[in-house]
Amino acid sequence: MKLNERSLAFYATCDSPADNAGFLYKRGERHTAYHRRWFVLKGNMLFYFEERESREPVGVIVLEGCTVELCDSAEEFAFAIRFVGAKSRTYVLAAESQAAMESWVKSLSRASFDYMRLVVRELEKQLEEMRWGLGGGYGGCRQSPGSWKPKPLGLERSPERLPALPAIPLKENGCAVWNNAPGVDQPPDTSGCGGHDSEGNPRPPPLPPRRRASSSEAGSAGAAAAESPSTFCRLHEQYGREVAKLRQGWLERQRGPQ
Amino acid sequence: AVLKKRLVKLVVNFLFYFRTDEAEPIGALLLEHCRITKEEENVFSISFVEEPERKYCFECDSEEQCQEWIEALKRASYEFMRRSLIFYRNEIQKMTGKDPLEQYGISEEARFQLGTHKQ
Repeated sequence: MKLNERSLAFYATCDSPADNAGFLYKRGERHTAYHRRWFVLKGNMLFYFEERESREPVGVIVLEGCTVELCDSAEEFAFAIRFVGAKSRTYVLAAESQAAMESWVKSLSRASFDYMRLVVRELEKQLEEMRWGLGGGYGGCRQSPGSWKPKPLGLERSPERLPALPAIPLKENGCAVWNNAPGVDQPPDTSGCGGHDSEGNPRPPPLPPRRRASSSEAGSAGAAAAESPSTFCRLHEQYGREVAKLRQGWLERQRGPQ
Repeated sequence: AVLKKRLVKLVVNFLFYFRTDEAEPIGALLLEHCRITKEEENVFSISFVEEPERKYCFECDSEEQCQEWIEALKRASYEFMRRSLIFYRNEIQKMTGKDPLEQYGISEEARFQLGTHKQ
């Protein structure tokens, strides 16, 4: 299977900080001798180099769908990265001390993308709940009113785009309804004028009708996006598109057959 | 350049591509330190920091599909997710005075620290 190896090597060696780094002994596949390698953990990728100064990794282990466990081995401070499946491999590694072993086991077991995504979603949810609780008074209104697209906000003075804070819908779009079905509850007033957090907090809007994956292509797209329909950002964008379409239709009907 | 029809799957921070009738991918792109660019109609490209002229182009069936992919790919990297997490953590901390990661016992993890991961 082809892989963009240059990009992988770049990721391994660029100066972005590693989540863990150090020497580990790696048991060979065919021969069970252990070889000392320099390991670098970045994100969900565990790279290993022949030497610490090597310019390119000799291999990489993608840490998705695996378990990290201590293992019985003649070698001291050994642990294993185990993958499930018929053709899969177990990587046996050994650290040089108890402390190093514990540090590696901890950082490897939290390295997966899935884990990161779980934590992000949890925080997103907390933030969303807090925003609704405060009646939309805080924070998200740093964008120009009426703009549909969330704009990136700066956190540090980093030129990198940071995830946009979802905008609290402002009241000037008085026609916004939270879903298309008539007779549904009016949207909560989140106009941000003196948000008073009260006990009767408005509940988040109902989820949009579930979109069927039109093909495996579109359906698989956004492993990150499609699986979190409750993310305010996503909802906001979806509603924005629907409203834009409705408006377009309305404008066309207005022009109509002249 | 010839366009070949491929089944494309975004799984975590990898973009896998398959021949349409095969179960095993022919290739994958790791989506870290990459740039997603809208090209002409229905087309987007992926390029990487260390080789910016080399563009992997994808033509979609519609402009809408194209935008969906662009949005999904822009958020696909582990590094993007990490920045989101740090950002949300900071926001929640500002609002509540409490570190939301404490309850999970992961406050001290290197990967969640503000200021250490600038890329």
